[in-house]
Amino acid sequence: MHAIEVNNLSKRFGDILALDKVSFTVESGEVFGYLGPNGAGKTTTIRILTGITHPSGGSATIFGRDIVTETIRARRQMGIVYETSNVYDDLSAWQNMMFAGELYNVGKHDREARGKELLETFGLWERRATRVRGFSKGMKRRLTLAMGLINDPQLLFLDEPTSGLDVQSNLIIREVLHDLTARGVTVFLTTHNIEEANITCDRVAIINKGKIAAIDSPERLKKTIQSVQSVEVSFENGSTEALADLERLPMVSGAKKEGDKVRLYTDDPGSLLKEIMTYAEAHHNRVVSATTLGPTLEDVFIRLTGLERRVKGGGPGE
Amino acid sequence: MNEGPAGDQLSAEVVAAWAIARKDITIYYLKPNIIVAGLLFPLFMFLAFAAGKNVALGVLIPGLISVTILFSSSTIEPVSIPIERRTKTFERLLSAPVSLHAIVIGESLSGFMYSIGIALFPLILGLIVFDTAIPSPLMLIAGMLLTALCFSTMGTLFAAYPTESPGDIMSMLNLVRLPLIFVSGTFIPLDAMPPAGKIIALLSPLTYGNDLIQGAYGQPSFFHPLLDVLMLVLFFIIFQFIAYRLYKRFNE
Repeated sequence: MHAIEVNNLSKRFGDILALDKVSFTVESGEVFGYLGPNGAGKTTTIRILTGITHPSGGSATIFGRDIVTETIRARRQMGIVYETSNVYDDLSAWQNMMFAGELYNVGKHDREARGKELLETFGLWERRATRVRGFSKGMKRRLTLAMGLINDPQLLFLDEPTSGLDVQSNLIIREVLHDLTARGVTVFLTTHNIEEANITCDRVAIINKGKIAAIDSPERLKKTIQSVQSVEVSFENGSTEALADLERLPMVSGAKKEGDKVRLYTDDPGSLLKEIMTYAEAHHNRVVSATTLGPTLEDVFIRLTGLERRVKGGGPGE
Repeated sequence: MNEGPAGDQLSAEVVAAWAIARKDITIYYLKPNIIVAGLLFPLFMFLAFAAGKNVALGVLIPGLISVTILFSSSTIEPVSIPIERRTKTFERLLSAPVSLHAIVIGESLSGFMYSIGIALFPLILGLIVFDTAIPSPLMLIAGMLLTALCFSTMGTLFAAYPTESPGDIMSMLNLVRLPLIFVSGTFIPLDAMPPAGKIIALLSPLTYGNDLIQGAYGQPSFFHPLLDVLMLVLFFIIFQFIAYRLYKRFNE
């Protein structure tokens, strides 16, 4: 049985078709990434899969239960962590946890045992009696995730779990995600952090303008655009001038500055490397490092969604 | 959600509704805007009416109880729900494995309990200061409970309007609540109303609640107490049904 099965799911808001016959399945124990630019239909999909919004057409099941006709039974098996840390500021961390447990009808004993375990896992046990109003953004995010796990769900919806968080919160959340997947919990993850999806997800779906543009594992998706390669180079005397000169080379299809490095897109990295060395010698600007890179998941995303890189001379996505 | 609440699910619905009510009690009961709208507003309304009346203040106690319940019961949700929409915590309720009915009842329950607590002030004031007798205490209890139930559900109904600003809902709500005071026999007896006023009074749940409460204090009743009870129950069911439909519609 699939954890999630979506068939020809459509959603129309007036004249706007937010979802256009979307179909995909998510297997039990899988970490499934759902990527797309703003307005692509990610939130609409999650709202339908969690039973808040009804689809205009098609169907969706959660562990075999139809989300429209068996909403409550389907919801019992899921935990939901929204993009906004929707915790009650005027309640303590413990009160928030207990309230979440009561909403999911978790018995008092289990609720308290699990609440303690989760607050300890997320590094919030010492602050359990403190009102959440005084928590940092990262602490609220951790509490939101802990609340989403109070019912020990088989399926976890995670909307932008680590967006804009401090390093400690990021590490804790990633570690918990790792533990969950090791225990066979299915995770449906939406994120703008494509690198996060790359390292976390078994498969990703890229949605654009309400339609699924591609579904596959990150590595297989990257192979579909093998022609997009790049050379990342750093110069001893700075890269700004080098960027302006090197982007004019005929084999460079796009260029951008990344910190103290320059990234040059090409389908002929060998020739480009030679030209870089020639340039460095002629301008007495020694190369500190030069790395040839294959396409990233971000490149795939840009290619499939038709987004443009903010670079001079155009990029591989164009 | 076509699953009927039965067995385990019914118990889950009750637990969730009670949890929602307790959450609102903890967070909102002492908020300044709740105290002003639920306690001080009806008190000043009463004083304004009392100042212009040439009757013993004790006679006005039933009306004060009715108006206090009207305002205090319908004040919590119009404040709490828009705030929770803004903080996205309301989404947490909507995505929980409980029916919309449980959410509506849970929300209304906090307003219900709040108003009963607040209405004890004029009740005790009447007993201690004005020595007002209550010949039919059971009728008083029924009147207070049913009126509170009715108007707390009405407050939840108005809060269905999809806004993140409590002021938007309070404005709409006051357009209904303020006229209700004048057409429901609270301070102006139904007998003294013009024929058109009496017809309008029939459409106000406060008319029946106030009639019961006045009857409990031994003042003349306009309707039979059983009719008052029946009408209040009917209004409650209608408000609950409309609230359910509105929350369902506005959450799409």
